[in-house]
Amino acid sequence: MDELKEQPWLPCSCAVTSGLLIFACGALLGLVFAITRTGQSGSGSVESAASPTPVVQSVSAVVPQAGGEGQTIFQQKCTACHTIGSGDLVGPDLEGVVARRDEDWLTRWITTPDQMLAENDPIATQLLQQYNNIPMPNLSLTQSQVAAVIAYLQSTDQGQSLPPVVAAPALPQGDPAAGKELFTGNRRFQSGGPPCMACHSVSGIGVLGGGVLGPDLTQVFSKYGGETGLGTFLSTMPLPTMNTVWGQRPLASQEQADLMAFLGQVAVSERSPEAILQLSALTIIGTAAVLALTHLIWRYRLAGVRRPLVGQRSRALTAQR
Amino acid sequence: MDIRAQVSMVFHLDKCIGCHTCSVACKNIWTDRKGTEYMWWNNVETKPGTGYPTLWEDQEKYHGGWERKSGSLNLRLHGRLGGLANIFFNPFLPTVDDYYEPWTYQYDELFNAPEGDDQPTARPISMITGKHMDIEAGPNWDDDLGGSPVYAANDPNLGELTEEERSQLNELERMVFFYLPRICNHCLNPGCVAACPAGAIYKRGEDGIVLISQEKCRAWRMCISGCPYKKVYYNWSTGKSEKCILCYPRLESGHAPACFHSCVGRIRYLGLLLYDADRIHETTLAPDDQLVEAHRAIIQDPFDPQVIAAAKANGISDAMINAAQHSPVYKFVKKWKLALPLHPEFRTLPMLFYVPPMLPVLAKLREGHYEISGVGDQGLAPMLSSLERARMPLRYMAHLFSGGNEEIVAAVYRKLIAVRIAKRAQHVSEATPDEVQQAMTVGNTNPEEIEAIFQLTSKPTFEERFVIPPLAREMAVEATLDPFTHKPETGFGFRRAPKRGG
Repeated sequence: MDELKEQPWLPCSCAVTSGLLIFACGALLGLVFAITRTGQSGSGSVESAASPTPVVQSVSAVVPQAGGEGQTIFQQKCTACHTIGSGDLVGPDLEGVVARRDEDWLTRWITTPDQMLAENDPIATQLLQQYNNIPMPNLSLTQSQVAAVIAYLQSTDQGQSLPPVVAAPALPQGDPAAGKELFTGNRRFQSGGPPCMACHSVSGIGVLGGGVLGPDLTQVFSKYGGETGLGTFLSTMPLPTMNTVWGQRPLASQEQADLMAFLGQVAVSERSPEAILQLSALTIIGTAAVLALTHLIWRYRLAGVRRPLVGQRSRALTAQR
Repeated sequence: MDIRAQVSMVFHLDKCIGCHTCSVACKNIWTDRKGTEYMWWNNVETKPGTGYPTLWEDQEKYHGGWERKSGSLNLRLHGRLGGLANIFFNPFLPTVDDYYEPWTYQYDELFNAPEGDDQPTARPISMITGKHMDIEAGPNWDDDLGGSPVYAANDPNLGELTEEERSQLNELERMVFFYLPRICNHCLNPGCVAACPAGAIYKRGEDGIVLISQEKCRAWRMCISGCPYKKVYYNWSTGKSEKCILCYPRLESGHAPACFHSCVGRIRYLGLLLYDADRIHETTLAPDDQLVEAHRAIIQDPFDPQVIAAAKANGISDAMINAAQHSPVYKFVKKWKLALPLHPEFRTLPMLFYVPPMLPVLAKLREGHYEISGVGDQGLAPMLSSLERARMPLRYMAHLFSGGNEEIVAAVYRKLIAVRIAKRAQHVSEATPDEVQQAMTVGNTNPEEIEAIFQLTSKPTFEERFVIPPLAREMAVEATLDPFTHKPETGFGFRRAPKRGG
């Protein structure tokens, strides 16, 4: 009944509650950011002291210049995930793929893999499961480009051109601390691209992580086959979404190395319970702080007049007895 | 000089019998809709008492009205910044419990209850939730109860009385109460208008009636706090605030407002006053004890040629000026100085005035019996000294009607006592001519004035009580509309499309 008696003022209490909620969320976010920022600037200063020495990490392979358009496209778009005859990477080794698969299927698969996955094509589904659930991306290739790639794959099978040896570009020694700075945007990319955190989350950058537009990158290092796969990915940015953003602004090799080092470091299996506890504690303390603050601001608010008046009298009577 | 017209009211408290007919008339016409169940645009309170809503006079709690701070006038509720900070949450609103939870009874049970061992009863149900409830309070709880321990004892106006005076009020010989009917005061400096963030409340130019636009109201509910008399109410169903409209549709067609018309004791008077709008600001800044004088001064003499010329320059018609000259309110407030504003210290310049009630005198006990015969000090108090021997201390009345200035209230009472003595001398020959002469001197009055006061108090005709000015709505619309456009549009469904429900 008490609750219902308040009903005439319901619109007011709704407005108050929603106002308070918005206020609370804002304050909480501010608080968390302040905390994570402080942590980052600390690590940043340590990083700048150690200047990374560039070392050649892996021997760059001989890249065949011949082979036409198909080879060029393969170099740019496919080598991040695939090899020819050098074993599985993120995706399968493509040696003999032309013989394994029907050509029509292969054409459709290279052109519109996303659509085939959506249609639950049996081979596509099986491949997806086999390769860590990383879907083959739609690379937006034209019909003629796809034909060229298939022609190139045929030619390697027949020994007419040399299969490319997948090679991570020569990268200097990476510094994980610098990588974290780049990831969170505390330091800008030389090309002017947005910080990874704008779209991606990863463990180890504060309790709230990063953006949720792109996938979580916590385990990307192992998923993309370690340094080789991720290195190629970072240098070519083959996925359409990434390519749109980074196609005109390639990462500098030092930046690639730093990011790789950082992503390799954070590649833990799951977020630590500590981080989850931290987040819960912050939420509870933040909410309590906001509630306390609102109570303080409106401490002189009117909380009923008649009830206290009658209550006062009843208490006095009880005391007399 | 900026002369404007104001429809004003006088309530003669001596004549109020506390029958609540006014409240019921108003309720039936205006507030028996969904969402308005708890509203009493007109209510009658028993004084001493805490009123409706509980303790409405205590602005320490409700923050209503104005306060004078370092030479300027500020809303007690908040300034501009404070208003912005509290826009989503007004912290000084009364709860529905402070008014009262409206209820009805389950009358159906009396007819439809299944057969049983007991008589069926009509249990009270809430008019808000529709569920069974325990009735704890009403709009005039402790009605007719002087000295009730919760509601009467906590009347804020008793605050200035000494502990001894307060305890005396609970003795049987001193027990006292009177009625205070209240409607919207249609103030000259309304707190509700000033507090409204949406600009939805306005004072009608032609007659000074304060109204809330139901289209502009955005339910911020600052008006409810802004009005120190708590005479703006929030309709929880429509999400708009509502208040007394002084039955303007009745006034426009020449009828007295419903509460005036139905008043059994004929305590209510209605008429036009002319006032000088240029002086509102300085009037509101007067010190507490001079507020009544300042308030009287702002009301202008409708017979003064200068005032008439200024009124005509402002577009006030001859018919309106004529109504102002015959206004009973002008006589009670300005000419005879008998009617006083309620709580002038709220500084809203209320335009409803009260003739304070004659206070019952303290009976004398001799040998355990009330002395009712005899004269002089031997029996009932002599008429002239009845003021000094009143049961209710003057300070209480001064707190209610004159911002604490006891002299003003005493002057009113002396004149009322003079009228009583003079009329009694005519009819029951109790007092000698000397005593009558003395009473008139003390009361600062004369036989003509006494006769006029008597006539308008005791034997007024309907037309003398209600001098309703010709509001000439057809001319007032000219300010915003072409009258020829307005005329054909006033009919059914033109200005607002007819709608089912709502």
